[in-house]
Amino acid sequence: MASDEEDFVFFGTPIEREEDITSRKKKSIAEASGQLRTLAPWKQEVRDEEGRRRFHGAFSGGFSAGYFNTVGSKEGWTPQTFTSSRKNRAEIKQQDLSNFLDDDEKAELEGNSLGTSMQFDTFGFTAAEMARKQVEKEQNERPSAIPGPAPDEIVVPATDPIGVRLMLKMGWRRGHSIKSSKTSSLYDAHREARKAFLALSDDAKPPVVGPKHAEVEDDMASASDLPTDGVSQFHKSTPVYVLNPKQDMHGLGYDPFKGAPEFRENKRSHLPGNKESGHKRQPPKKDGLFSFKSRNVAPGFGIGALEELDAEDEDVYASNYDFEAFVEEIEEPTKLAIEDKKKPSVKQHGILPGFKPATNSDYQLERFDPPVVPKDFVPQHKFPTTLEVNHKMTELPPKDVPPPEDNSLKVLIEGVATLVARCGTLFEELSREKNQSNPLFDFLNGGNGHDYYKRKLWEARQKHGDKFTPLLKEKATQNTQKLTAESRGNILGEKPLERSLAKDVPVPVTETVNLQFHLSDTFTEPSSFVEPTEITKPFQYDVAKQERFEQYMKEKYHGGLRTKDAGGSSKMSESARARERLEFEAAAEAITQGKWGKESQTSGQQILGVPGGRGLQFTSGGLEKMEVSRGEETMKKSMFPKREEFQWRPASILCKRFDLIDPYMGKPPPPPRSRSKLDSLIFMPDYVKASTKEEKTISNNTNLTGSQLDENEGTSVTGVEDNVEVENVERPVDLYKAIFSDDSDDEEESSNNPPEDPTKKIEAANTTLSRLVAGDFLESLGKELGLEVPPENHVKPQPTQKSTVPEIPQVSQMLHQPINSNSHKDTTRIQENSSRNDTSELNHEKQDTKVKRNGSSSEDERSRKRSKRHRSSSDGNGSDSSDDSRDRHSSRHKERKKESSRDRDRDRSSHGKHRKHKNRESSSKSRRYEDNDYGDGKREKRKWRD
Amino acid sequence: MSADGLPKNEAHVLKGHEGAVLTARFNKDGNYCLTGGKDRTIRLWNPHRGIHIKTYKSHGREVRDVHVTPDNSKICSCGGDRQVFYWDVSTGRVIRKFRGHDSEVNAVKFNEHASVVVSAGYDRSLRAWDCRSHSTEPIQIIDTFLDSVMSVCLTKTEIIAGSVDGTVRTFDIRIGRELSDDLGQPVNCISLSNDGNCVLASCLDSTLRLLDRTTGELLQEYKGHTCKSFKMDCCLTNSDAHVVGGSEDGRVFFWDLVDASVVSSFRAHSSVVTSVSYHPTDNCVMTASVDGSVRVWKA
Repeated sequence: MASDEEDFVFFGTPIEREEDITSRKKKSIAEASGQLRTLAPWKQEVRDEEGRRRFHGAFSGGFSAGYFNTVGSKEGWTPQTFTSSRKNRAEIKQQDLSNFLDDDEKAELEGNSLGTSMQFDTFGFTAAEMARKQVEKEQNERPSAIPGPAPDEIVVPATDPIGVRLMLKMGWRRGHSIKSSKTSSLYDAHREARKAFLALSDDAKPPVVGPKHAEVEDDMASASDLPTDGVSQFHKSTPVYVLNPKQDMHGLGYDPFKGAPEFRENKRSHLPGNKESGHKRQPPKKDGLFSFKSRNVAPGFGIGALEELDAEDEDVYASNYDFEAFVEEIEEPTKLAIEDKKKPSVKQHGILPGFKPATNSDYQLERFDPPVVPKDFVPQHKFPTTLEVNHKMTELPPKDVPPPEDNSLKVLIEGVATLVARCGTLFEELSREKNQSNPLFDFLNGGNGHDYYKRKLWEARQKHGDKFTPLLKEKATQNTQKLTAESRGNILGEKPLERSLAKDVPVPVTETVNLQFHLSDTFTEPSSFVEPTEITKPFQYDVAKQERFEQYMKEKYHGGLRTKDAGGSSKMSESARARERLEFEAAAEAITQGKWGKESQTSGQQILGVPGGRGLQFTSGGLEKMEVSRGEETMKKSMFPKREEFQWRPASILCKRFDLIDPYMGKPPPPPRSRSKLDSLIFMPDYVKASTKEEKTISNNTNLTGSQLDENEGTSVTGVEDNVEVENVERPVDLYKAIFSDDSDDEEESSNNPPEDPTKKIEAANTTLSRLVAGDFLESLGKELGLEVPPENHVKPQPTQKSTVPEIPQVSQMLHQPINSNSHKDTTRIQENSSRNDTSELNHEKQDTKVKRNGSSSEDERSRKRSKRHRSSSDGNGSDSSDDSRDRHSSRHKERKKESSRDRDRDRSSHGKHRKHKNRESSSKSRRYEDNDYGDGKREKRKWRD
Repeated sequence: MSADGLPKNEAHVLKGHEGAVLTARFNKDGNYCLTGGKDRTIRLWNPHRGIHIKTYKSHGREVRDVHVTPDNSKICSCGGDRQVFYWDVSTGRVIRKFRGHDSEVNAVKFNEHASVVVSAGYDRSLRAWDCRSHSTEPIQIIDTFLDSVMSVCLTKTEIIAGSVDGTVRTFDIRIGRELSDDLGQPVNCISLSNDGNCVLASCLDSTLRLLDRTTGELLQEYKGHTCKSFKMDCCLTNSDAHVVGGSEDGRVFFWDLVDASVVSSFRAHSSVVTSVSYHPTDNCVMTASVDGSVRVWKA
């Protein structure tokens, strides 16, 4: 069929039949003809050229590009490259921009994309590559004698790289290095300057080494042949083959510092030849990769990338070297280059912070043996004699002549000769001048005995030559006035010697004597100390003297040789001059000292502070403390160790894990303990007890009343009361009262027990204190119980107490508390129990004792305790419980008192009518209040004591 | 007292730590030892043969203290990363990390049953961690210290800790009491005597102080060494006859317990001796130093 159809030939356009035209086409045509324009806007529909509806309502699909309201592709949103990763998880597709672009976008992008054209081939790589490919292709086509790919060397790119061509156009020729003339001249200048500097600093080291290595590598090549061709601007680019001799074990061409150039500098500094360069390159390291905030980082261990360097990362064990180098660095920014040399040796230790030198280095440090010292070497410096002296020393000795017959002349000649030898020719001239008329001195002028004098002089010079060379040199240099001496003096900070010396010297012999003395003055002090002393004029009253003084000062500070009668005071007598000089010296000293005093705070400190500051690292803060006086120490010893005891509540799980019984089992969690010392005195158990007492009250009550000790309990309560009730701290009690009890209770209570006398209260407080201090509460308890156990029928107070609701908890708690608080201490509990047993036994004996006796006996007790207290307080001073604790205790006591008085106030205000009833009978209640107070303190005391 | 029987000959040098070794501890029977240092590793050694057995790596910063359970099955360690690590000895894995200290942790100890780890931190707190449950919350925080807690010791019923605030505090779990003995000098390290009656406290005034635990009385002071700025250990010999302490100059000192005279001292290291640990039965002491070595000394 298909083949048949192919045979047909069609001419012209076929006529479209009616049915072929789709309805939508018709519609679009109609639309185009404006048929539908009459429709209301909301009825109009937008259609494409084929009449298809592309826009649907937002809820019926939105825009449809033909694929049923999806993206314009069959796959819809499914990415083209999507493959299930379930099976091939590891396969990671490299995605790029094109993966996310549509075809049209790609086409669009291609128009804008940049590509390198063959024409622009800077280094000729592309050309070379092309050429090689071409060669390979050709090789495949035609058989070759040598099988395999053509070696790269043979294939040379046909074209020059564009870079080369550009360079050629700019005047560069092949075989020349690329280098701007400007840099080279600049470099020359630098180099010259450095050379000059080195020459000036007169260092022994070869002047080339230092600066050369500091230069960048590519400069080094040209630096070697730099001075030769200054004319031509372009230098031969002789390839530098051996720049860095290979000293490591890495593979050829492997650069271990590829990503970390900071290390390269370090490596270079390690190399023996590059010591100087190493430290010169050090500074950039500081803001390099490892510039930590602190330099005292432990060597060897960095911290995680996500962690910050904290103070705790500082290496407390760091050696002092790092620190020293650090100090040096900051404080001496301007220093002579000679001194700079010290640094690298110190710095070598630190290298890079965060890294430590490997224990076994991969390169061997070249070591050279120290130069062999010749056997005959004498380690003593000989001052080089100056030209003149040398000349004189080496001059041929005059012929030996017999001494003149005249013995005195002979002695004179010899004496003069020694003197001249010692003091120089100056003396000879002077004496010649002086003694021109004297026939005895004819030998100086070539007269009688001249030859002998010459001979003696030579001998004397030979003799004294060694001894006095420095001196002679001093004079010689001065005479010859060589520039080298001056420059040398400048370097050494020496004041040039005065040249006009010869004229002023009155008596050469004394001069030589003075010379030695003045020599010390020839060294000028550092310029910082050469202060103009004009400000201070100690001799203002005498202008001439002041002038002389100034002259003196000038000379003193500027140094140099000078005559004694400087300042033209030749008129003055010798003694006056000496006296004046002494004065001047004293004044000068005073001035300098005064100045020092002033300066020491400012500039002096910064000069002297340098060694001091450096020394600081070696002094420890504890040193001063060590030198405390013996008295203090003994005091300390008596003070420490100081023992305190606190309540501490272990967590129940902790007890469980320790296999112990929780001492606080079944008690509500304590409130958080406050940090302050004073607050730590308010114990948590107060709250604990207060809260627990309510629940325990009833059970305790029933228990106790049910027991055979029933009656005793009531009475013993009154006895115990004194000691124990106190365990209730007012505050929590008040709190609970406020919460749980009505005012009516209070009323009832207060109506029964009117508030007590404040004075009595104080007294009670005192007694409390005394008892507390006296200490053993249990003992007193036992005694009291033994003493005053009321008879069975004297349970009278009980009903009254029971009538008041809050009373009961108190009572019961009194009974309960001691047991409770002592439950940890088995011994005490036993004691208490035994004491209670005692009471039960004594019970029968002391049937007739009354409650009132209780009070009186407690009075006795009080007095007894007071005396005890005095005793204990007197010896308590030296005891472990320090004043501190006592203070606290007392302060707390006061607080308590205040509180209780507040309590009372409240009572008073609410029940003012009862205030008049201040009778003894109601003391039972009031006493309870006292006891509250007192026992409170006691409880505290017990804590201290425990 | 004579210095006879006191270790003074170097038996082995345990080398392997890079950088300062901060702690060295014998295990219960003294056959093995653990060291920890600035290189963030804990190393297990046989100190008597000088063999390095295992390295435990997981700490993020330096290891300051390490302790091993009596049955040698677990290790706890602490350090600058503010965590307490609970390790399994054989696998070398961290079983648990206890986070909660606000700052570096100075010391760590197991209790008798190895059920609780107590750690002492620079954040002025002691924290007890439960090893039995899976909770990583501390079961108890004791924060009554006024300054960094440097050292902790545990008895069957008590937690004893020394702090820079100058106190040695004893927390008695049985009776719920805290006893604070103020020495007046920052306490660097505490160590219990083997009979448990005394506590030796190394103070930063270069003095070791021996306290009677029941009364808090100062029994003796030991001087001669230097201890001013570093956390350094001290301990008693296994016979309780001598006191052992390191010095910042690299020396190790032995004092007579009773008359406090320096019985023996020798240069053990080139730098600060950070830790001394005495063998539980033999006359053998192990010293660790900032110079990166751990040395075992025998009589």
